[in-house]
Amino acid sequence: MKQAELVRILEEDKPHVKLPLRQFYGVVWSSIKMMFAYKSWMIMDLLSTFASVVMYYFVGLQVNPLILSESGWGTSYLAFSLVGVATSNYLWSCLVRLSHSIQHEIRGGTLETIAVTPVNMLTFFIGQTVRGYLVSLILLVGIFVVGIGGLGVHFQMTSASLMATLLLFILMLISNQALGLIAAGIVMVHKRGDPIAFLVASMNEFLAGVLYPLEMLSAFPLLQAVSMMFPYTYALDGMRRALILGASLADAGVLTDILVLSGFSALLAPVGFVVLNWGYRTIRENGSTSSY
Amino acid sequence: MKLEEIIEFLGERVPRLEVGVLEKVRAFVIRDFKTWWTYRLWVLLDITGALTSVATYYFVSRIVTPTALVNAGYTADFLTFTVIGISFQHYVWSSVSGLSEAIRDEQYDGTMETILSSRTSFRVFLLGESVFRFLVGSYFLIASLVMGLIIGAKFNLTLGSALATAILTVLLIASHMVVGVLGAGAILKLKQGDPIVWAFTWLTQLFSGVLYPLGLLPEYLQWVGAVFPLTFSLDGLRRCLMNGEDLTSIAILGDAAKLVVFIVVMLPVSLWVFKVAYDSTRREGALGQY
Repeated sequence: MKQAELVRILEEDKPHVKLPLRQFYGVVWSSIKMMFAYKSWMIMDLLSTFASVVMYYFVGLQVNPLILSESGWGTSYLAFSLVGVATSNYLWSCLVRLSHSIQHEIRGGTLETIAVTPVNMLTFFIGQTVRGYLVSLILLVGIFVVGIGGLGVHFQMTSASLMATLLLFILMLISNQALGLIAAGIVMVHKRGDPIAFLVASMNEFLAGVLYPLEMLSAFPLLQAVSMMFPYTYALDGMRRALILGASLADAGVLTDILVLSGFSALLAPVGFVVLNWGYRTIRENGSTSSY
Repeated sequence: MKLEEIIEFLGERVPRLEVGVLEKVRAFVIRDFKTWWTYRLWVLLDITGALTSVATYYFVSRIVTPTALVNAGYTADFLTFTVIGISFQHYVWSSVSGLSEAIRDEQYDGTMETILSSRTSFRVFLLGESVFRFLVGSYFLIASLVMGLIIGAKFNLTLGSALATAILTVLLIASHMVVGVLGAGAILKLKQGDPIVWAFTWLTQLFSGVLYPLGLLPEYLQWVGAVFPLTFSLDGLRRCLMNGEDLTSIAILGDAAKLVVFIVVMLPVSLWVFKVAYDSTRREGALGQY
């Protein structure tokens, strides 16, 4: 039997191609259903996040407010660390959600199944990241509710400062999701773990000033220079200016942070898509969409 | 065909050699080491993660006043306090969660059913799986403590305090092996979202005094820490390594005694819990399900 005949016999009269939006909805919905299958895990994740906020409240009781205020961030260590803890949690989701889900699909043998259906893979990959964003958003809101409502943190929440925070937050997502795409592309080919995401997340925690004012790094020029290479450093600086000091988009510091983050986003986003595409193409060509 | 005939038909003429427990544990360790060493980049990255978390607290220590530490009976050195807290907490966390992850991986790969249907009992299986996790954890623990020394932590080590540290570390390992077995039983049934590992990750950070002395907690919360062996371990280890106290110290003897009680009470309980979970999973035929 010739190949053309075989294709003719097997092909469907009407291909079951759904609109990208419908496919996107399907991917997000299946991913959310899977998440709700592990309810205890979800509850524990939520409680852990709140526990970390409370933990920094107690750490804050040991901090000398005078030394903190010399760095220009006010006297409340909890307010200072809350912005760091809440956003670094979200950042983790940007960096690892896609690569973890791809690993899971490869291991479960489902990536190959999806790849041979008419599902648009870009739609699939974006759909996979959305669940991470939704869960992290719930945690982010929860952290701020616990911090502000439960532990009495005071933020400068004017419409101008909130606008600046929102813009910085979106730019943080774009630039770091681009790093997440790069990590996912590499994970697809190399299978084991996501070294890029892990390294970036560890360095972010250490060097972006999540738990201490960045001014402390001035005695270590090399570390300070490395910290400037991460988009999160600028996002965190800008969001703290807005939420703790009440800065708006007209503030020179916030504007600088926005410009730098826009530069990172413009540079990293295309690279991210190229690497993701390379990873997917490579495993299809190697026939390793289900090997791990 | 009668049952006896089937057994006769399938039975081995020459029974296999009985392999000793130590030899089996050694085989588990070698197998896990080979797997671990395959991913050398991850060995490097894992240690980077542990070291950066210690280094972060170097900077935090520069904005902290040690009054609360002095009130709790430790020397006024927040950096050393947190280096000990983070290093040992990470040690027990990686060992306990590592055991749970190993069980889950064995289920995922379908190897657990194979091993447990051989002449390896679940006790030997658990011991074998645990030993390697604690060995790898020790590697990270030493690296974190050395990193602490490099960035300025000061350990007050005398012969007496070193001996007390060694005894407390052994008790810390034994008590957390017990916790690991409890977690393994939970993961066997729940498959994901192990509450035991979760409790030992987050509740210990909050209530065991990893980053602050327990005196900072409100009185109505201080009792929660007493549930976790890490609380007594950290207190004892800090008294040895920061204050240079030895086994003649009442506080250290008290911590050691509480750890011994925890082990004696919880070891049979944890083995029983694992056995119940194991038998129930076997009855359901779900040993290989994930």
